[in-house]
Amino acid sequence: MIRVDGLSYSVGGFTLRDLSLHVRPGEYFVLLGPSGAGKTVFLECLCGLNPIQNGRISIAGRDVTRLEPRHRGIGYLPQDYALFPHLTVRANIRFGLRYQDHAPEAVDRQVDEVMKLAGVAHLADRLPQRLSGGEKQRVALARAAAIRPRVMLLDEPVSAVDEEARDRLCRQLKELHASTQATTLHVCHNFAEMLAVADRVAVIHQGQIVQAGTPQEVLQRPKNLLVARFVQAGNLLSGQAEADGPWLRLVSSGGITFRTPRSCAEPPQGEVAFMIRPENVHLFKLQPEFAPPGMPPGTTTLEGAVREIRDFGDAVRVAVACGPATELSVSLGKKEFKAAAVSPGDRVLLAVAPEDVHVLENA
Amino acid sequence: MRRLLSSETRAANPVGGLRSRLFAASMLLFVGLFTLCWVALLAADVSYTNSRAFVEVLTAPETRAALWLSLWTSALSVVIGLVFAVPMGYALSRYRFPGHALVDSIVDLPILLPPLIVGLSLLVFFRTGVGQFIEGTGLRFVFQRRGIVLCQFLVSASFGIRAMKLCFDGIDVRLEHVAMTLGATRAGAFWRVALPLARRGIVAGGILIWTRAFGLFGPLMIFVGSVRKKTEVLPTMIYLEQSVGRLEVALAVALLMVALATVALVGVRLLIARER
Repeated sequence: MIRVDGLSYSVGGFTLRDLSLHVRPGEYFVLLGPSGAGKTVFLECLCGLNPIQNGRISIAGRDVTRLEPRHRGIGYLPQDYALFPHLTVRANIRFGLRYQDHAPEAVDRQVDEVMKLAGVAHLADRLPQRLSGGEKQRVALARAAAIRPRVMLLDEPVSAVDEEARDRLCRQLKELHASTQATTLHVCHNFAEMLAVADRVAVIHQGQIVQAGTPQEVLQRPKNLLVARFVQAGNLLSGQAEADGPWLRLVSSGGITFRTPRSCAEPPQGEVAFMIRPENVHLFKLQPEFAPPGMPPGTTTLEGAVREIRDFGDAVRVAVACGPATELSVSLGKKEFKAAAVSPGDRVLLAVAPEDVHVLENA
Repeated sequence: MRRLLSSETRAANPVGGLRSRLFAASMLLFVGLFTLCWVALLAADVSYTNSRAFVEVLTAPETRAALWLSLWTSALSVVIGLVFAVPMGYALSRYRFPGHALVDSIVDLPILLPPLIVGLSLLVFFRTGVGQFIEGTGLRFVFQRRGIVLCQFLVSASFGIRAMKLCFDGIDVRLEHVAMTLGATRAGAFWRVALPLARRGIVAGGILIWTRAFGLFGPLMIFVGSVRKKTEVLPTMIYLEQSVGRLEVALAVALLMVALATVALVGVRLLIARER
């Protein structure tokens, strides 16, 4: 539905370099990246607000590279929403419909429908200054959706609201997406927000797409150290890699040996970075009558002492010191944590299966 | 008075001790001193003139003619000034074009230079071939009422242009961008978004143009002269009256101008406050 090929654009000292992206019809796609990565600039290029220097943008199979914003068939929700301050909520939502060939009654009906769908009907006569952050977001979304665009471009749509409202608004975004079926490109810098809404995700950094895939792919198999850090991979280690039969043997700088299946004919050799997600590390409390469970071949087991326990509400993060230079983080659900019954200072056994060790490419 | 202060400019007053109050007092001291200067000047004017002079000023046909001429020429200058100021302010704010900095500086020239130069330059211009041609078509300016409007416009429009540029600078360009994604052309975004939001800027620009045009004196004396009931406006009338020794009449005219300007400025501010 949205296809971008070799897009280049420079503004000031910032450059989008040879950026390509494909968003499938009806998909909810998230472009994830830190502040200053070029997300907003890229979205403005898709809107036609930044004239690109090279490349091609097509929407619904139509080349829109040189088309004015009004002819691109997009609904744009900018950061901070940019509601027209001199118009009421109803007039804001109605704004785009006057440019379409609808009878006045049909326009009124459509405005009412969209306001109801977005849950802002009771705010119809208010001016934007009198709205909360969440209300502004819903009005801006309704304004963009009212013109029934083929594609919705959302720039940090929930960043200006508090944590509680963010979850609710993310659900509403998905509901709106389900009801309108408009292909959606949502840019954000928040990892949890991405997980809440994305069908697929691309990570952008310094004007370039670094990795694209499903949220789980990016989460479990980040391409390089940069993406791994951004998706909060947790245990990032460095060490020496060496082929070992069906395995790639990884000896961390702390002297611990991990194994991972050899996935390619020419595996990386020498100094590499690798990661183990905290939720993939198994933890057992060492007690006198403890019998280690059966482990799959290649599993690394290591003993350590619980150094710190941090409660995040729905999960508990346990930091385990496994040697003078190695500390692994383990994420447990509340029930698992209760069953494990560990406290700081306890001796524990950690187990890491080979398929949970992921080698990162050099950035 | 409180209503005249906008919510944006009204200072919040957090809990403060003696130092805060001393600080506020030191700031307000300057407000008081400045106001006192003007009250003292106006009081001196009132004390020097007399009721006979006031009656004469208010009843003389010459005064009424000068008053009417001052009012309509300055009002017309506001209209013409805004016709230029709005698009120029928008262009200078939104577009970068070759010579942008030069045009920006030219806009400031009439603000920086003595207005007298405008009168002199106009007089010289209408002696050149182009000027003679314009006068030859019947569109005459030198020593004509039209010349008053031309002088007022050239001197005062810059204030309006500067005000409009600042106003458009303050309007988030993304609002127009959103309008364009919703179906508006660039012009449509200007008419339906930027211009309505610039309403207060237009009023402010209009006030600045009017105050400058209403009180203009130097270039008018040079370019259109001060012929009774023809090209005499209130500022030139003050000059002529004091030059023939009728200082009390000159001061009565001056006080009439002060009263008119005060009524107009307070009236516009009240209108803006009511709109909010």
